[in-house]
Amino acid sequence: MQSEARYLYSVARTGQEARLGSIGIQENDVYIVPYKDIAAIVHACEAKPYHTEDKKLAEDWVLEHSYVIDQATKMFGTVLPFSFDVIIKGDDDAIVDWLCRDYEKLAGELQRMQGTAEYSIQIYCDHACLETLVLTHNQELVDLKSRIEKEPKGKAYLLKRNLDLKLKDLTFLEAGKLADQFFSEIKPIAEELKAAGKSSWTADKYRDKKLLAAFCCRVSDGAVKKLGEVLEEINNIEGFYVRFTGPWAPFSFVCLSGAG
Amino acid sequence: MNPERESCLVEVLDRLLNKGAVLNADIIISVAGIPLIGVTLKAMIAGMETMLEYGIMEDWDKSSRELYASQETHLPLLPGEQILYKTFGYLREDEGLIKCWVPGVWNITSQRVILWVKTPGKILFETPLENLRVMRVPASHEVRKELELIYPQGSSRISLTERNEFEQALAEAARSTAARNESELVVTG
Repeated sequence: MQSEARYLYSVARTGQEARLGSIGIQENDVYIVPYKDIAAIVHACEAKPYHTEDKKLAEDWVLEHSYVIDQATKMFGTVLPFSFDVIIKGDDDAIVDWLCRDYEKLAGELQRMQGTAEYSIQIYCDHACLETLVLTHNQELVDLKSRIEKEPKGKAYLLKRNLDLKLKDLTFLEAGKLADQFFSEIKPIAEELKAAGKSSWTADKYRDKKLLAAFCCRVSDGAVKKLGEVLEEINNIEGFYVRFTGPWAPFSFVCLSGAG
Repeated sequence: MNPERESCLVEVLDRLLNKGAVLNADIIISVAGIPLIGVTLKAMIAGMETMLEYGIMEDWDKSSRELYASQETHLPLLPGEQILYKTFGYLREDEGLIKCWVPGVWNITSQRVILWVKTPGKILFETPLENLRVMRVPASHEVRKELELIYPQGSSRISLTERNEFEQALAEAARSTAARNESELVVTG
């Protein structure tokens, strides 16, 4: 290999040299550079970032990167996934140097991730359902509602606005309370749990629902069933819908700060 | 329930471009000390405007700065529409779990109320003055100086530093609109 750099997909726990085949970005030959009992999964490339003006091609590259990580996970168990376009200067020796220098950190992180995977959870609710729940359980709102029915039109209008504002605020509070409750139900099952940011994308079947909570969690293989049961219970509440995806490589949890 | 491997491109892109491990710049390729971790691709996929908006491409190259300059925008007005009053403020965004206040410039024109962001030049909210009602929200929210805009399609919570001035300007704008087409606007205290 005479190329000047190595494109890095992931770091795995294996001490064996191996080739994964031409499964890399642009069908590059993906192989393993081991050091002790850990290894980098790479392909040889030029020392410049992947760049294209073609959006479709760029997306294909990202999907190809993701595919390599999935294949490596199948072969070696949980890997440390790297972000797109991390390219190390130099040849395989440079990779070995890096693995050697950061061995403690990488091996430690692999150990921490072993036997676990990342899962993504989104809990949606039917907004009308949530409002009805609030409206029927809050005495103040119940009273206000019955007053509106008795008052003359003008005053009833203002009271109705008041009711709507209060209902909006209380529904918001209730949503927060429920999100906290779900968070604490999931927390004991997960090794790590984070609130995930709002995605710009929503699956078609949830489009008319309100996103109540989004989490990503790292769960040990043995606890996935239990997590599924807890989520099933939430999913069974009327007006609530759970989207549960995974397993993924631990993208949201791998931490190598200071490495490199 | 069992987890599904159902995923969409957006989620995969988010993982690969925004998450995952990275390394310090000294061993990976970089230009002038800036690590090139998918920067160009991120820019393309996320949209250049987004990158610029969030300052990710700050101090980047000349072409980016030129693009940024070309993004300078002006609020598009309707024929005969005039801006009567402008003030900085916020719109309450209620979608999703995280409620937030979106900042922008509130414009009262002779025809509409508009929340405008200069970069990347976007109308975040607009509603005609016709049939618009404004209400101060209950005392618990006084700290934020909020107003509730009520219009036929729904209502929105907004927040302003210069609330009194905004209300006055809106009332005046509404009066002249009402004089034109006999519609009503009610400002209630």
